Parts: sequence; C-alpha cells; structure tokens
Amino acid sequence: MITDVRENRLLVTSDTHVGSLFCDARRGLVRWLDYACAHKYNVCINGDGIEVQYTSLTRFTTETAALLRDIRRLASEITIYYTIGNHDIILEHYLGEWGGLRLVPYLNVSSATKRIRIEHGHLYDTSLMTRPDLRYGLRRFFCFLCRMYPPGFHSYQMYETLRYRYLRRLLGHDRHLLDSPVTRDVSPSFHEAAEDLAQRGFDAVIFGHTHRHGVLPVNGNRARYFNTGSWFDQPHYVVIDNGEVELRPWPS
Amino acid sequence: MAARYLDERTYETGDIIFAEGDPGSEMFIVSEGHVVITKQVAGRDVFLAAQGRGDFFGEMALLTSSPRHGTCVALVPTRLVAIKSGELLMKLRRDPTFALEMLQQMTRRIGYLEEQMAKLMEQELASRQELATILAKSEYRLRDSPG
Repeated sequence: MITDVRENRLLVTSDTHVGSLFCDARRGLVRWLDYACAHKYNVCINGDGIEVQYTSLTRFTTETAALLRDIRRLASEITIYYTIGNHDIILEHYLGEWGGLRLVPYLNVSSATKRIRIEHGHLYDTSLMTRPDLRYGLRRFFCFLCRMYPPGFHSYQMYETLRYRYLRRLLGHDRHLLDSPVTRDVSPSFHEAAEDLAQRGFDAVIFGHTHRHGVLPVNGNRARYFNTGSWFDQPHYVVIDNGEVELRPWPS
Repeated sequence: MAARYLDERTYETGDIIFAEGDPGSEMFIVSEGHVVITKQVAGRDVFLAAQGRGDFFGEMALLTSSPRHGTCVALVPTRLVAIKSGELLMKLRRDPTFALEMLQQMTRRIGYLEEQMAKLMEQELASRQELATILAKSEYRLRDSPG
C-alpha cells in the first residue's frame, strides 16, 4: 500500500463524480489532466472521482470507459494517484485492475520541507460513519426523486446549509466556523479532523467530500486546511509546487 | 479547539524526554523538531533511532506497560503531542488513519529486526562452521599424533 510519497509538483482535485446524472465533469477533468501533463505535474484525484450512486448503467459505463481510456493515455507521462472516496469505494478492485491509476487510501506527501496530507475526508462524516445504512437508503430515495426532477439535486446542499449555518447561528454553537465558506455549511467534524491531522506535523491538510471549497488556518496558524469542493459547482484544485500549496479555480 | 484533548509539550535542545528504565504511560508524536533515541549497551550509548515530524515513538511502553527501553533526547527545539491510553482510543476513533500509520511503522520495524536477526544468524552459523572445522582439524591432529 502506497501512502508516503515525495512529490515536488502535484495537482489535487476531488469530487468530479464522473458518470453522475447531475454533473458532466468528464471533459473538464480530461482537460485538467491534459493541463497537468503539459505542465509536468503529477496529479491526485482525491476521492469520488467516479460516481456509482447517482448514475445509470448506461451513463456509468460510457463515461467511465471514456475517462479511463484518457487516464491510460496520460499515465505513461504522469503519475495519477486516485484516493478512494465513499462514492467509488465499491470500484476499488475494478479501478486497480484497469491500470493507469495508483490507488491509495490517503497520501502523505513530502514536498520540499513541507508535509501535506491528502485524504478524501469521508471518514470524518459522522452520519456516514455512524449510520451508513440509513444514509445510503436516504441517498437512493433522494436519487430516485432527483431523476424525476433533476434541479432538485441542489436541495441537498440547501438542507445542509439550513442544518449547519442557520442552526449553528441560532444555537450559538461553533460560531467561529461561520466565518469561512469551507466550514460554514458542513459538520464541524471535518474542521476538527484537519486540526487533529495538523497537530501530527502536517503543514497542509487537503480534503474533498464536503463539496465546499476554501482554505482555513488550523493548529494555531501553523498549518492550513484546504478543501477542493466539487465539480458540481465551480471546480477547484490545489497546486503543490516545491512545498507551496495554493487553491485555484478551474474554468468550467 | 478540536484537537486540544491531547497534551502538547515543548522541549529545548538537549532536554531529556524520557530516560531508559523510566516507567512509561504515554507515547509521543513529533509535531515539530527532531529527537534521538539511544540505549545503554555495555556501558556505552548506542544509537537506536532518530525521529522527525510526523513520526511517533514510546508506544512500546504505552502498549505493554513496560519501562522505557531507551533514552530519548530532543536534538533541536521540539514540540511533541503526548498520548496516554485513554487518549489513544480517542485519537484512533477521531483519526483512524493514525492506526494504519502505527501499523505501517511497526511493520517496517519488524522487517528491519528480521533482517538484523537473519544477519546475526548468518554470522553465528559462519562462526559455528569455523569452530567445527577447527575442532575437526585438532581432533585429526590428535588422532594422528605418534603418542
């Protein structure tokens, strides 16, 4: 199992959900991979790169096959790491057999003098970890509803905004998390996990999963928490260049 | 703050974090800096390991309640996170990849020890063979001597 790597030039994105019925990120992702290849960056697709929940068999097979063909084309020139997320965990064997991808559970990247943790972040999603069956059941039902009315897909994000931003404001809990878009509308558990990891000597912690992009200082300003958001909205990616870490938007 | 259930400690260059034979009930993660671990062998300090940022040490004493096997000294100004048994459970629950990293590091150590053991066994076998050859020769000389 690979978890520790040295990379001076690496691009990281997440949650492209290729194959999803509600997002068409494949072409954009291939352009992003081509960009990385042209500028001699290795890349990490940090979880939920491929969708298996909100999809149909036809869409899944056509989109995934097309993406994996491009990945195999580029894999001879750059290293492509693929962190397993929660939407693609059942594809782990399939993706491993296909070739071109280096599957990892998470990555500890050494870049110049910096240590960077790259992890999808679903392990810190308390509802997913404590009640997975309920969560998957609700997801399937929600997917069924969204297939009948696709714009309704964004109602889930509205629900999370209501749940965390307004309830938090109302109850006066975790008010410091309201200041940043990366923590405002999600469970505080992700921020806590980033704090825990930073305390273990990481200079940067990069998650995906929450679909909220942004940057936040952690561990008393000694480290930074990055989230690359998702490709459902405005795609973002992190650039690691000789220890410098930066979040950038990707033109969709 | 989130991770503040853990005890953070700072040490200056040359500070002893623990000494060999001390009772130990906590392990450490290096948050910043470097430490070196040595052991007394035949009255001399023998280097065991150097640990940097992200590494952990002292887990043997925590997991087996045994005294410290070596002496740990800060090489530079160092910040450590100290973890006791109850906190370790909490840490593993909140930060599950830490368990995987502990297993990886311990597996590497076992691999290293196995290599060392194989080398020692090889040396011992070679010296035994040498001894057997010497004995066989001396026996042959005794048998063939005129007296």
